[in-house]
Amino acid sequence: MYNQKKFKMNKFRFTALMLIFTFALTAKAQEPTTEEKITELKETVNGLLERLATDETDLQKLTKIKVSGYMQAQYQYFDNPAIQPNNYFMLRRARVKFTYEMVDGVKFVLTPEFVPGNLSVKDAYVVLNDRWTKAFSVWAGKFNRPNYEVEYSSSSRELPERSTLIRTLYPNERAIGAKLEFNPLNVPIHFQLAILNGADLMTINNASGTNLNTTENKDFDNYKDIMVRAYYNLPLGNFGGLDFGAHGYFGSLKSNTLKTLSSDYTTIEDVKIGDAVKRNWIGGEFQLFADVLGGMSIKGEYIAGKNASIGYSPVAAAGTTAAIPGVPNFQNNFSGYYVYFIKNLGVKNQFAFRYDYYDPNTDITGKDVTITKYSSPDAITLKSRTSGKSDLATSTFGFALLHYFDDNLRVSLNYEIVQNEKVGTVGALTEDYTKADGTKVVKGLDYSNVLKQNLLTLRIQAKF
Amino acid sequence: MKAINSKKFGIVLVFLALASFAFTPAPERITVKGSDTMVILAQKWAEVYMKSNPNSIIQVTGGGSGTGISALINGATDIANSSRKMKPTEKEKLKARYNTLGVEVACAKDGITVYLHPSNKVKELSVKQLGDIFSGKITNWKEVGGADQAIKLYGRENSSGTYVFFQENVVKGDYAPSCQTLPGTAAVVNAVKKDPNAIGYGGAAYAEGIELCKVKKDDKSPAYLATAETIKTGDYPITRYLFMYLRNKPTGEMKKYIDWILSPEGQKLVVETGYFPVK
Repeated sequence: MYNQKKFKMNKFRFTALMLIFTFALTAKAQEPTTEEKITELKETVNGLLERLATDETDLQKLTKIKVSGYMQAQYQYFDNPAIQPNNYFMLRRARVKFTYEMVDGVKFVLTPEFVPGNLSVKDAYVVLNDRWTKAFSVWAGKFNRPNYEVEYSSSSRELPERSTLIRTLYPNERAIGAKLEFNPLNVPIHFQLAILNGADLMTINNASGTNLNTTENKDFDNYKDIMVRAYYNLPLGNFGGLDFGAHGYFGSLKSNTLKTLSSDYTTIEDVKIGDAVKRNWIGGEFQLFADVLGGMSIKGEYIAGKNASIGYSPVAAAGTTAAIPGVPNFQNNFSGYYVYFIKNLGVKNQFAFRYDYYDPNTDITGKDVTITKYSSPDAITLKSRTSGKSDLATSTFGFALLHYFDDNLRVSLNYEIVQNEKVGTVGALTEDYTKADGTKVVKGLDYSNVLKQNLLTLRIQAKF
Repeated sequence: MKAINSKKFGIVLVFLALASFAFTPAPERITVKGSDTMVILAQKWAEVYMKSNPNSIIQVTGGGSGTGISALINGATDIANSSRKMKPTEKEKLKARYNTLGVEVACAKDGITVYLHPSNKVKELSVKQLGDIFSGKITNWKEVGGADQAIKLYGRENSSGTYVFFQENVVKGDYAPSCQTLPGTAAVVNAVKKDPNAIGYGGAAYAEGIELCKVKKDDKSPAYLATAETIKTGDYPITRYLFMYLRNKPTGEMKKYIDWILSPEGQKLVVETGYFPVK
């Protein structure tokens, strides 16, 4: 009995063992061999490599597109009682620059600006670099005019705005046209020659006050303006370096009237509609960079010449055939300059000072403004144009303290002391203004004094 | 023109004087970033210098010459190692941000070597042939006396100074799209080691276990290997200086470190690492 039981038990164990063994063998037979595993792995790697090659090709295309930009938000407080509200926050600049370098030597640049309520195109140009000498490049489209302060980016500039002189001569900095640049590889000399529409963003009003120059993308007249700039980088050994050069503007605007008045307010010249009214000026510039106690620079520019604005012809008064006087073209001799002093304070901080001066009319002084002898004598056929506010010089002391958190983030505190040239007599040149509560202050601004025009700006800039 | 108020002008002068006396303090810790070609050398310098100057901390990282110079401009490093000269656009950025032109220190010489697989029948090439190979005009080894096999190109990424130097002085145009870019010279050497039809370029210090290609100025010139002698005499046609760039004239610890690098002790390490001394 015992043996029978034992035999049954052994038979059961044997069957169980056989089953386990068979199962194990089957299981082993289903597992891939090492060779199979390697082959599978190779196929996987090859597949990944193929995908990587495709991705890399796509990625290389993407690296030809570069996106950069910056945004400046600021708070400003104005001393000027005529500016209401006298303090506010604003988004000063919000630009994204797209650069597409399709092949070596061909570059497309597009910079839209996004500020609340306005979308505009700041830059839109193509650059063709010569691939042989690598010294010449041709630009076409809308780009910065060739001038040091114009071409010095707002994201790098230490003071919030460009000097009064440059803002007056080159409104909005850009112009539409073509430019040839010559930057030889082994000589630190640079030439720029530009041909421009010239009337970009200028307001040219007719008798009704309608701006005739509204088509931003086209010229106002057939005259093209020429700009040239040349500068040289002179190394000064361990001390630093001096960049110096000159630029000139040679342009014309189409006369829209029959007289041109000079800025002495006595010389009046007959012209025809369509004649060229010249705008010519030249300037000298320097930038001294010194590795003195952490780095500093002194930069300056002086420009003088003749600018012009366009008048309009006499037209018939409404409902009659009688002509009313128009406004003559006006050619003003001007001069101006700016000087910057910039000092690095360690790696993160910077101090900057700028003095800038702009005299829009060098033919008369502040004392002479509004005096009758300097008024247009031809009041019969033309509206009498008398000397006034637009003939007064402006000087500005600008101070700035800048802190760089890193390459992307910068905060600056700026204060500008703005001073106008004074007229000779109290009450001779005044303006009304309206206070915040709506009260009108008659003759509240008297240009026989230095008016309150100081300005505080606190700005934060993010750049990428 | 209106006279400038003398009181205000006085205040301005005081401000300017105060600002003029502010200076950049010398860093206690020196950070070095840039050229991958120079990483081995820069690490060796730092290691040996810190042993004899235990109070000094020198941190070395690579990333490529362009990356190092960008870091110098944005204040993220004290020294940028670069295997090419600083570009005018980079100098302009330095001027705009720090009002200096930067300080260039040539600290070693290097010959850009061309790597071939030891089994390759081709043993020498002219600069023009190399340019044609890397620009994709020559695509088969038989065109330069080798086997009838397609040429496989390996090179550096465009942030590398070696990439730029080789492009400007040899390729003289765009690299062929088939040129596979690799992160670091060591990776280029490894890729060429494994592929009999490969060709690559990089610094001399990395050329171990690989065939170096002799290079000739033109078809009529003799071919030379990059050696201390041929680089010194200028016979080897693809030679360059290796640079360290600083924002300002070095002072304090930084000056001590730079002076040591240029001393016989520092230059000895240049030779030991496989590069060539500047003097």
